[in-house]
Amino acid sequence: MTKLAVDDIHLAYGSMDVLKGISLDLAQGEVVALLGPSGSGKTTLLRAIAGLEAPHRGRISVDGRSVYDAAGGVDLAIEQRNFGMVFQSYALWPHRTVLQNVGYGLKLRGKGAKDIEAAAREALGRLGLGHLGERYPHQLSGGQQQRVAIARALVYNPPVILMDEPLSNLDANLREEAKTWLRSIIIEMQLSAIIVTHDQSEALAMGDRIVLLQDGKVAQVGTPVEIYTQPANLAAASFFGRNNRLKGRIVSLNGGHARVAGAFGELDGLAKGPLAVGDDCTLVLRAERLAVAAEPGGNAIEATHVTSMYAGAHWEHVFRQGEATLTLTSPTRVAGGRAFLRAEPDDVWLFAA
Amino acid sequence: MLALSFRLPVVAIMAATVMLPLSIIAYQSVLSEPFFMGGGALTLDSFRYIFSDPAFWTALQNSFGVATGMVLVALPCGAVLAYLLVRTDLPARWLLEPLVLVPMLIPSIVLGFGYVVAVGPAGFYTQIAREWLGFAPWNVYSRATITVLAGLSMVPYVYIYLSTALRSLGSDIEEAARVAGAHPLRVALDVSLPMIFPAIVFSTVLIFFIGLELFGLPLVLGSPNGFDVLAVYLYKLTNLLGVPSYHLMAAVVMCLIAMTIPLVFLQRLFLRRAERYVSVRGKGNRSRPVPLGRWRWPIFAIVAAWITVTALVPLSGIVIRSFVSHWGVGVNLIEAFTLDTMRQILTDTVMLRGIVNSVLIGVVGGALAVACYTLVALATHRRHDGLSRFVDYLVLVPRGLPGLVAGLAFLWVFVFFPPLAPLRSTLFSVWLAYTVVWLAYGMRLISTSLVQIGKEVEEAARSCGASQGRTIRDVTLPLARNGLLASWLLIFLMFEREYATGVYLLTSGTEVIGTLLVTLAETGAMDRASALSLVNVVIIGIGLGIALRFGVKIHD
Repeated sequence: MTKLAVDDIHLAYGSMDVLKGISLDLAQGEVVALLGPSGSGKTTLLRAIAGLEAPHRGRISVDGRSVYDAAGGVDLAIEQRNFGMVFQSYALWPHRTVLQNVGYGLKLRGKGAKDIEAAAREALGRLGLGHLGERYPHQLSGGQQQRVAIARALVYNPPVILMDEPLSNLDANLREEAKTWLRSIIIEMQLSAIIVTHDQSEALAMGDRIVLLQDGKVAQVGTPVEIYTQPANLAAASFFGRNNRLKGRIVSLNGGHARVAGAFGELDGLAKGPLAVGDDCTLVLRAERLAVAAEPGGNAIEATHVTSMYAGAHWEHVFRQGEATLTLTSPTRVAGGRAFLRAEPDDVWLFAA
Repeated sequence: MLALSFRLPVVAIMAATVMLPLSIIAYQSVLSEPFFMGGGALTLDSFRYIFSDPAFWTALQNSFGVATGMVLVALPCGAVLAYLLVRTDLPARWLLEPLVLVPMLIPSIVLGFGYVVAVGPAGFYTQIAREWLGFAPWNVYSRATITVLAGLSMVPYVYIYLSTALRSLGSDIEEAARVAGAHPLRVALDVSLPMIFPAIVFSTVLIFFIGLELFGLPLVLGSPNGFDVLAVYLYKLTNLLGVPSYHLMAAVVMCLIAMTIPLVFLQRLFLRRAERYVSVRGKGNRSRPVPLGRWRWPIFAIVAAWITVTALVPLSGIVIRSFVSHWGVGVNLIEAFTLDTMRQILTDTVMLRGIVNSVLIGVVGGALAVACYTLVALATHRRHDGLSRFVDYLVLVPRGLPGLVAGLAFLWVFVFFPPLAPLRSTLFSVWLAYTVVWLAYGMRLISTSLVQIGKEVEEAARSCGASQGRTIRDVTLPLARNGLLASWLLIFLMFEREYATGVYLLTSGTEVIGTLLVTLAETGAMDRASALSLVNVVIIGIGLGIALRFGVKIHD
């Protein structure tokens, strides 16, 4: 069942178009991660859904009821949309105790003092903060503040929770822990949520689906596995993982399979999108999908070893092929000098240049 | 944040309060006689009369002379003071920093009385000097003295703007110049000075502007010698022709406003530019203080001397004068000690009412003014539309109205609109004039504390389900509370040191200390003037003490 439907949202700041027709759906109990580089419009989109920004075209509905509809002249005020929102800065009210922060939404909904306290305490307890109700926000650690912000957003059972970079204010160690915790809370409570993030590993870990935004448009929508392993276009392919990019030209096509030639020699690969023989194309090779061989043979590029860097869990090797630099990761060292970088044809992605 | 149904009325009322007095002045200036006498014909006769009066031109010339002189005195002194306190290892900086602001808080008319009784021809210090030297080494009534004293009392303003600019100048950008090979002096000339240049220009315009509307000091020190500035000329015009010559006064006011309002807008332009420079702050640590070496104490002595001249001399003068019955060569001041003057002041119904009214207008009126400013600030809070820009410019208009003029304008408003007439003889009239005169200052205080509240904190309340009004009540105002209380204290201080604005509104019931001081200046009753000044200073001192106790910054 669709909880939230965003349909063809357009938004501009003055003459600058920020959102250029974005659509997405969120099902009951689903988490969608809005991912994209800075300036792609992901936070603007989240704020537009919440009513904090004003789009000029499109439609947003929750449970089939319009909260914004440019054509129908509907534009509910922020407070009437009934979302739960977790802000990047958490935005806890410093003059209210944790309990008052969490209970405020219930108070606004006319609940009695007893019910408010019980519900707020229960929400805090569920997030492991049961003992902190009387404290003020500044007396809490960053991780605790984040949990209070989440408790505040979900205490009145909003149909959808909106989270704006919920982890970005935590330090690196805490962030890993919070990522796991947030994911398990979301699953346990069957929340429907939209999470904005610029961090691909957060998006991959927390989202049931990822909506990749690029320059105010949706570049690709898919499950984390789909979006990582089957990028729909060059932008999506480049955004994830460590990539090598080479220039080439299609020499033959056979269904989806293609043979491509360039300064590196010739390779077999997978054509992504409409390509014809003779077309210029960009090859994308994920660093972890390249293997080093001492002998020629198979689907390989000849290259010269430049340097290797130890990264703890693996090695990073840098090779040079003509003008291009290629990086690959492997669990072991490699010998210096000339080598052959081998890739399965399915791992050589060809996009229209 | 708020709906138009709230914003529009608030802004409309404010616009009316600001523009109405101004319109009446403009209207009156082109009438042949006072408007309450039936109006008369539309004519430029008033301007013709003013322009043909040599005294007007002399006053205008004097005003320009004094204003220019004040800039020449205050700017170098304030700049040096700012540099010394911000960048060097001057001793006792913690004590000097609040102390240098004190002259700013003493009403200029009190300074005037203080100088008369301390270093006037018969002043305490003059007598001592004469005893030692055989002659009086200074003449406090001369034009040069008035200019220098007025200039010295402006030093805190320069200090405030330049020290803020210097502090916000990240030390890293200076260090970058040092590392690149520049000598400290070159750094000062090539990097620091250009960076604070907007602040310098800004304070120059500010002082020139305050110089043009200077009233208290020349009234007390200049008038006995026939040295009148524009504001004093206006004041003396009141009863020139027997009947109040409103049309002439309006014409003078129009001339004054024609100079001040452009200056106010010029100032705003420079402030904007200054703020743009400030925003380029580097993070950097506070730079290592420049060592003054063996000059530390001599320089400290010079700074102490400035504080002595601008604050201690006049203040000690009024304190002594309030408590002695007579003085002169060979008189032991301790034997001449008396409480009679104080007793006189505190038993005189008019004086007493003035004191009570002053406290009332500072405490209650200050709170009400802050409430009004807050309403206007909320009406433009986080809005960048036409209405907000309109308010931005509107608040600047009263700044172009010297206090004396604003009071006059409000008097006319009350006379012009019969339904308002009953309010004229109540404290409300004075409060309204004060509130409008300090509008720009108050709005700046309040907007600063509102802007400091994070936007997301308010948005969080909205997304939780709170309406706009509810968000303001539950989040914005509680968070701004400390800022609002601080604003109340500062407005209290400003209202207590105000003396010119109430002058024309003075009737039985509307006396405040400041206006009583102006009347005492005319009668020349120095003992009572001193005693009342002392009461004024004590009230300001208490306010300042509370402000410092609660860590309120006297300047933003």
